[in-house]
Amino acid sequence: MNKVKTKYANGGMVEKNGVGGWIADILIYAFLVLMMFICIIPLWYSLVASFSDGFTLYNTDGMIWLPVGKWNLKGYAHVFATDQVFLGYGNTLLYVVSATLLGFVLNVLAGYVLSRDTRYRGIMIMIVMFTMMFGGGLIPTYIVMKALGFVNNPLAIIIPTCTNAYFMILMMNAYLSVPQSTVEAAQLDGAGHFRLMFQICLPQCMSIATVVLLYSVVFQWNSWFQAYVYLSSAKEWWPLQLVVNNMIAENTNFMQSGNIDYSRYLIQYGLVVVATIPILCAFPFFQKYIEKGAVLGGVKE
Amino acid sequence: MQTLENVAAVEEEDVSPAELRKRKRQDKHKKWVKDMKKDYPIYLLFIPILVFFVIFNYVPMFGIIIAFEDYKPGRGVFGSEWAGMHGFENFYDLFSNESFPLVFRNTCVMAAMNLTIGFLAPVILGLILSQVRFRPFKRVAQTVSYMPYFVATVVVCSLIKDFLSDSGVITDLFVALGAPKEDMLTNPKYFWWINTFAGIWQGAGYGSIVYVAAISNINPDLYEAAALDGAGRWRRLVNITLPSILPTIIMMFTMSVGTVFMTGFDKVLLLYNESIYDTADCLSTFTYRWGVEQNNYGLSSAAGLFQSVISTALLLLSNKLTKVAAKTSLF
Repeated sequence: MNKVKTKYANGGMVEKNGVGGWIADILIYAFLVLMMFICIIPLWYSLVASFSDGFTLYNTDGMIWLPVGKWNLKGYAHVFATDQVFLGYGNTLLYVVSATLLGFVLNVLAGYVLSRDTRYRGIMIMIVMFTMMFGGGLIPTYIVMKALGFVNNPLAIIIPTCTNAYFMILMMNAYLSVPQSTVEAAQLDGAGHFRLMFQICLPQCMSIATVVLLYSVVFQWNSWFQAYVYLSSAKEWWPLQLVVNNMIAENTNFMQSGNIDYSRYLIQYGLVVVATIPILCAFPFFQKYIEKGAVLGGVKE
Repeated sequence: MQTLENVAAVEEEDVSPAELRKRKRQDKHKKWVKDMKKDYPIYLLFIPILVFFVIFNYVPMFGIIIAFEDYKPGRGVFGSEWAGMHGFENFYDLFSNESFPLVFRNTCVMAAMNLTIGFLAPVILGLILSQVRFRPFKRVAQTVSYMPYFVATVVVCSLIKDFLSDSGVITDLFVALGAPKEDMLTNPKYFWWINTFAGIWQGAGYGSIVYVAAISNINPDLYEAAALDGAGRWRRLVNITLPSILPTIIMMFTMSVGTVFMTGFDKVLLLYNESIYDTADCLSTFTYRWGVEQNNYGLSSAAGLFQSVISTALLLLSNKLTKVAAKTSLF
């Protein structure tokens, strides 16, 4: 039985293969190889370009597969010439850690509260869910943030984006899946709400909690718009992505102004590498949870 | 029969209807008190969450009234006068703005392209991935396919700008195919496609995960039976795989209908420039430019509200559709 399962499990594949099957297989593999190529190549290009010689790169048409000209680190020397990038790393780290932790606490709280069988549970869920349906929009939100004193203040990144209704509903479902008998047994032993929330239920919701945590980390790492709007004149608080965006724009203008320093041509590639390497290094570790999260997204509602 | 009715009548006679209602109310009240005694710690725990949503979601929703005001930052939301035309002047300004027809068209076109091409790409990728027999290859291909989802939008857009510039790698490719040598991001003809394909590059692999998972959950017996009946690979794909994942496809589609008017426009903000406003400017960028850059809060809020209302209408519509689809997909 098991053998049959593996034989057919994969979307209806059978062992036998005619000529048509072979052609189909070849087309499928060719397509997927091309797809992988398209996914990887922009990043590979940036990587090899960042080590290339600026002048040679500037005069090379079309694709490069390996660094052209003499290998060098001049691009990176430019990238790290000011402390902007380090500052960006530091700020992003601050935002990732603080927003994720704050969001985690709120998510656990919401997951627990919304999953308890209380009289006004429905209303509480409505309050949370309605924010998924309708929003105030950019300017009304901006005015509120200004009134709170959050403009040009790092709290504008940490607090408002730390969680959202969707994460809370996911956590609610996770808490609902904890068997009622476990909760009741713990209550008989005299466990209070916080003990129930963190020590009894949370370990059983860990896989969804991890998914939510990781999404929050990735979101903060890649986020730029919030800072673009609220921290526009507080450069010292810019996250890495906004620093990268700004440095590339400045450099493009600088090069268009007729300054012929070809190694500046490497800056943008260096920045792409600097901004992407950390998350791609972490990728294999959170891959399992990402697949879980993507499927969770498909079964919500 | 007779006696039973009598008993009931006697009991009712004992207490007047008013008294009965009062007792009922008291009972209700007692139960409420009892519930509250049991539940109040939970409600207390809900307060931080309530505060979070009230400040960052509900107060801004209330702040939408500035779309109907002649908003002056110095006077605040409550001090500002109502806008002219019974409060609808901002909307008049919005709809009569010379770029509004183009902005609205661009938003609709880009949303429609994301809903069709952008939606089908992950479905097709999922189906193709499921056809791979050699498992390690399938794993690698799938992992690589969703890696771009984790590359930051800022990075993706700076790469696009570079590759499409007049000496960029992709431009070189098109030049070899006979296109003129130009910065492709300054040619309004290309922008919709650039935006759509950027979305696909970033999201197709990630979007296909749910379909691959759905396909791997199909009962293998179905395939076995079909194979015994002589159904070839294509037939099995069309007659078993597709119908089996149709509910997933329908659900994902209705979900993307609900969000398509709001998401994915940060790419436009990073990519567009004045020479392609005709095809690239959309409601999100319009709202941003008029609000944050020009400080015309009234007009910007009107545009934002217009977008929110359409988006919410689409969301409600898609929820209705999901319910209908859930019924039909049972058959």
